[in-house]
Amino acid sequence: MSTKEQKERIELLQGTLDLLILRTLLLGPTHGHAIAKAIEFRSEDVLQVEQGSLYPALHRLIKRRWITAEDGTSENNRRAKFYRLTARGRRQLTAETSKWNKLAGAIARILRPAE
Amino acid sequence: MRRGKRMLENLDQEIRNHIERETQDNIERGLPPEEARYAAIRKFGNVTRVQEETREVWTLVWLEQLVQDIRFGLRMLRKSPGFTTVAAGILALAIGANTAIFSAVYAILLRPLPYANPQQLVVVFGANLREGVKETGIPYLDFDELRAQNHVFSETAATAGHSLTLTGAGDPAEVKTEVVTPEYFSLLDVKPLLGRTFLSEDGRRGAAPVVMLSENLWRDRLGADPRILGESITLDKRPFTVVGVMPGTFRSPVFIEDPRDIWIPMAQDPLFGGLMTLRNRPGFGVLARLRPGTPSAQAQAEMDAIAARLAKEWPEEDSGWTIGVVPLQKEIAGNVKTALLVLLGSVGTVLLIACVNIANLFLTRATTRAREMGIRVALGAGRNRIVRQLLTESVVLGLVGGTLGVLLAYGGVRELSSLLPSGFPRVQDIRIDGWVLGFALLLSVGAGTVFGVAPGFFAAGPDVQASLKEGSSHSGEGGVQRRARNLLVVAEVALAMVLLVAAGLLIRSFATLTSVNPGFDADHLLKAEVSLPQFEYSTPQQWTAFSNELLTRIQAEPGMQNSAIAVPLPLADGTVNLGFEIEGNPVVRPGTSRTADYVAVSPGYFRVMQIPLLRGRLFSEQDAMPAPRVTLISEALARLYFPNQDPIGKRMTFGFPPKGKTWREIVGIVGDVRDVSLHQEPGPMMYVPYAQAPFWGAVVVARTTLSTSSAASTIRQDVRSIDKDLPVTDVESMIDALSASVAQPRFGMFLLSLFGALALILAAAGIFGVISYSVSSRTREVGIRVALGAARGEILQLILSESAKLVLLGLALGIGGAFALGRFLRSLLFEVRPTDPLTFAAVAILLALVTLAAAYVPARRAMRVDPMVALRHE
Repeated sequence: MSTKEQKERIELLQGTLDLLILRTLLLGPTHGHAIAKAIEFRSEDVLQVEQGSLYPALHRLIKRRWITAEDGTSENNRRAKFYRLTARGRRQLTAETSKWNKLAGAIARILRPAE
Repeated sequence: MRRGKRMLENLDQEIRNHIERETQDNIERGLPPEEARYAAIRKFGNVTRVQEETREVWTLVWLEQLVQDIRFGLRMLRKSPGFTTVAAGILALAIGANTAIFSAVYAILLRPLPYANPQQLVVVFGANLREGVKETGIPYLDFDELRAQNHVFSETAATAGHSLTLTGAGDPAEVKTEVVTPEYFSLLDVKPLLGRTFLSEDGRRGAAPVVMLSENLWRDRLGADPRILGESITLDKRPFTVVGVMPGTFRSPVFIEDPRDIWIPMAQDPLFGGLMTLRNRPGFGVLARLRPGTPSAQAQAEMDAIAARLAKEWPEEDSGWTIGVVPLQKEIAGNVKTALLVLLGSVGTVLLIACVNIANLFLTRATTRAREMGIRVALGAGRNRIVRQLLTESVVLGLVGGTLGVLLAYGGVRELSSLLPSGFPRVQDIRIDGWVLGFALLLSVGAGTVFGVAPGFFAAGPDVQASLKEGSSHSGEGGVQRRARNLLVVAEVALAMVLLVAAGLLIRSFATLTSVNPGFDADHLLKAEVSLPQFEYSTPQQWTAFSNELLTRIQAEPGMQNSAIAVPLPLADGTVNLGFEIEGNPVVRPGTSRTADYVAVSPGYFRVMQIPLLRGRLFSEQDAMPAPRVTLISEALARLYFPNQDPIGKRMTFGFPPKGKTWREIVGIVGDVRDVSLHQEPGPMMYVPYAQAPFWGAVVVARTTLSTSSAASTIRQDVRSIDKDLPVTDVESMIDALSASVAQPRFGMFLLSLFGALALILAAAGIFGVISYSVSSRTREVGIRVALGAARGEILQLILSESAKLVLLGLALGIGGAFALGRFLRSLLFEVRPTDPLTFAAVAILLALVTLAAAYVPARRAMRVDPMVALRHE
């Protein structure tokens, strides 16, 4: 990944990545690759995740008991680990989302061009 | 942690699957398989790092790294056994010494006293600043009123110490007795081993006499028989019923130095019982327990009020006297606090010097390890990681040294306890316990950090490229390192200077102290104490008869003609300080108190002691009971109270015997004697003939060429031939008694000299190491110089002048430091000022000589460098 590319895309803060994972899992349990794809897709490629960094993040969330992992079978019949949002994770997502919205709103107001 | 393990189980497979899927997606987007795979891997990022980071979520990384660093540190230490042995040895010595001294400091100054709620315990004392009395006891009647009137103490007790004669259990013996009011034990809240402590009934006049024994006396003399309770023992020929045995660990907390053998209620004591109706001084030691939550200041305020009331009510006895309150722990530590803190500071300085030395070793090693560090940095180790690794290494070394040091400290504590002068408080409490071990651990880690930081700092500093390029095993050291190394040497010399000055001052002070003239000639002089049971020998006539008889018998023995009797004997025995009046009452000079030390002596005393007669006459056999009472005064008394007049023929009266005034005529003036201690200027003294003021005991002094033991057995025999139940104790030569009286300064001097010597050796070793290193890294330069025609002498001069500069700088700093710190020593010095120029000069010269000698050895090696070998060398 060249320096130029890095400048055009937004690097993700750790907490943000956690939030995005939780949001993705709200739609239902799925495996790591699908999560990465979903994040890229839904952010129209602006948010670029180095896909590997997903895994430490997933394990952090497991450790906090916001998600669980279970073995399952993927769409093309391969064994894979499926991640599922827990009730605790759902609560966390709600709290974080409202916090995030407030923050985003505040930043937007500050950055609004003077009229 | 187990959850983590399960979660991580299929991580590799999961990552592989992930990349597989991404590759598949890429192929579906039309990329050729090879490129699709490459793109997938690139997009995933560093697989190893992802795995590591994921694992780190579940592990305590720092702990793993620490274990790894410790392992590595140990391996490095094993790889250079010479370095490790030297460094660990130096550290072990320094930490061991520090731990041992700290164990004493902790036991004496810091550890809570072994009584319940020790912070409530206080000592109540009398003081009279007008008379220059800073701290003394409280008269019994004042104690009685204080006990009844105060609202701040839950309990108070008075105590005093002396000896009684125990008979009927083996040889007659003097037993060390503490005479107490019955609340004493309940105040301290201590429990007996057997039986009970005193009840308030035991303290009443006319109560049945009871006694408590120490465990030691009970075991040694009474066969540890538990049936002793209720039996009686004979003290001064009078039966006392045993009611309890105190455990061997119990010590009287204050006022009394030696462990006691027995305790009896004050009312039962032949001597102190009689003082319970008096308001005379010095009175008794008073202990009190503050009511819970009462601050010491409040107690002090109430004591001030009580003292004022007493002074008003009893102006003759109590005017001018105040009552003070001081926490018990502070009182106990008071005398030795400065000495202990000075020792701790000194031994701490030794450790600091040791650390500097080891830092130097580490620095040298860091220079030779620059290449290793360069490689580590090149391979991606962060600066912090490297510093952390080096620190771990040095802390591991610190811990190794600390462990060995603690082992040494166990021996050191034993040695220290036996070295401590008798009468040192709480000696039995000195031991290595959790707190002391904690201190040792702190020191080890602290020391490891101190000497690890310097090289760690420099090691991570050097330019990676440079250290890799230089390539040679002897990569030259940069200016920064050389400056650091020189700085360490300067620091070392400065610290050693401070310590050696302290040691030098104490040595000089001790030499002055022991060469001081006590006012008598101690050579071939010996003393023996005889004490008479007061229940049997109760009248002055009996005392006189006994002592006359004894002296006659002793003087009849061969080699013992030159003997006399005195009570009390100066320096060996304590003093009796009494107020006096002079007939005609000349005006007392302000600031001087009208008291003098009092001694009753047999006529031959001055001849035996060789105290000179300055004017008038000495006592004779005729100065006995019916004859007119006479007295001799010391030169100091004559000078202070009879300025510009002839005291001979004047009359005085003393506060002894306590009742009635007896006028005594001054018949002569004798030379001054240092009777309190060698380091105290002789004060005014007055002598009376023993025959006119007898006492229930005496000290025999004899100037004899016989050995102490044969003189002792002669005296014992003579005493026994008069009364077989009389014990003779404390036969010792006056030289030994004098030596015992300076045990505390000797102890301080000895330890400080030891630490000074250690500092000197360490500083010399430090210089040696640095100059050796400097010489070996300059071999090439020296070779060139020699090849170009430099004379050998010039090379020597070059190296030596480099060392001299460092030493001189260190000396200058050290002198400044010693100057600044000297005031802490002031209270420990005798007739030597903390800035004594002679000591400073001698120490500076010694240190300069030793360190330059240490530098000379490697400098000579430089001088001998063969230019051919040196030039080929690199």
